[in-house]
Amino acid sequence: MGYVPISLLVLLSGAAMAQDDAVVVTALRDPVTKPYRKMVEGLELFEERRRELAPEARLRFKVLPRKPDAKVEGVELEVSSESAAVPLPVEENGTFTLEHDETALKERAQVIPNRKAGTMTWRADVRTPGLPENTRRLGDLRLECEVGMEAGLISNYPPGFFGWLDELFPQGPAYCRREQPRYLFFAERPLWSVTLVDGDRREVLSVDRLYAGATANAEWKKKLAYCDCEALVDRAYFVPLGDTSWPDETLVVLEYM
Amino acid sequence: MKRLLFSLALLSGCATNPPEPAERPLGPGEVRSAAALERNFVVGETSKSDVRAALGPATAVDFASGYEVWVYREPPRKEPPAPGAELVLLFDPGGLLAKTRVAPRP
Repeated sequence: MGYVPISLLVLLSGAAMAQDDAVVVTALRDPVTKPYRKMVEGLELFEERRRELAPEARLRFKVLPRKPDAKVEGVELEVSSESAAVPLPVEENGTFTLEHDETALKERAQVIPNRKAGTMTWRADVRTPGLPENTRRLGDLRLECEVGMEAGLISNYPPGFFGWLDELFPQGPAYCRREQPRYLFFAERPLWSVTLVDGDRREVLSVDRLYAGATANAEWKKKLAYCDCEALVDRAYFVPLGDTSWPDETLVVLEYM
Repeated sequence: MKRLLFSLALLSGCATNPPEPAERPLGPGEVRSAAALERNFVVGETSKSDVRAALGPATAVDFASGYEVWVYREPPRKEPPAPGAELVLLFDPGGLLAKTRVAPRP
């Protein structure tokens, strides 16, 4: 077995932290941006689908490091349009909320962090209150996937990457309702196992569902730099979102390394 | 340790113990009984070289943190058709076994 250490491609070129003034954010060259309109569409989908999937849940969005030395700490966000640049408060864990703003929609605003393109990635964060820190709810994850796909949060990948990702992007939220969609979730810490629990029924997910499927793909390391999981591969997992034998109330119990 | 390695070799179906005629030879990273092997490993004591010597090469994923996950799988079942169980081993950055699990395949 030949070992090659994970090649940590350091593509950050000194993504200098912006100063306190949020306007500085817009001065960063080549920032990673998301269309505000798409994120609002994600908000709307959340409101539409929450009754079915996660009635008690709350939605936040989240920025995550995409490159190994990218830091979420200190990230600043703003909704930037022709007439205004409105700062978005960001929690220490990288989460933030978004409000519906007609002017920003009309002016085709962008959500812009003070980070360069390719250094951060995005996800929806849907959580029903009251669960232990290491426990997610399957309905929350289902909705998280749908919102993430609707809002266009998943970064682009080159053709042929891991094979399965090619089929992910054109399909929007419907992709999440396939039996085995490969939408990546990220745990708070490096993962050891993921177990689905529905009453007496328990299933420890195959290791092939962890680490972005690395154990099922001998070439995973060569293409890691293209995955928005590059910095979080030891936290990445996917679950059988579309397997309706697991109800929305199913608990997804994470055990950490 | 010699006793451990010998017993592991028996359980893993290495070259020292030819497989039953009806069974196909084990491929790289395959073992006959994931659950039986797991009982022979000791968290905090068994090293990567111990496991490699006993079971041969694993499917391995190494992380920037220094942790490594190794996987051995039972051959797929024929009746009914199903993938075999998997033995998953976590090694800490010092190369010692940190966690184990056997996941029976559905």
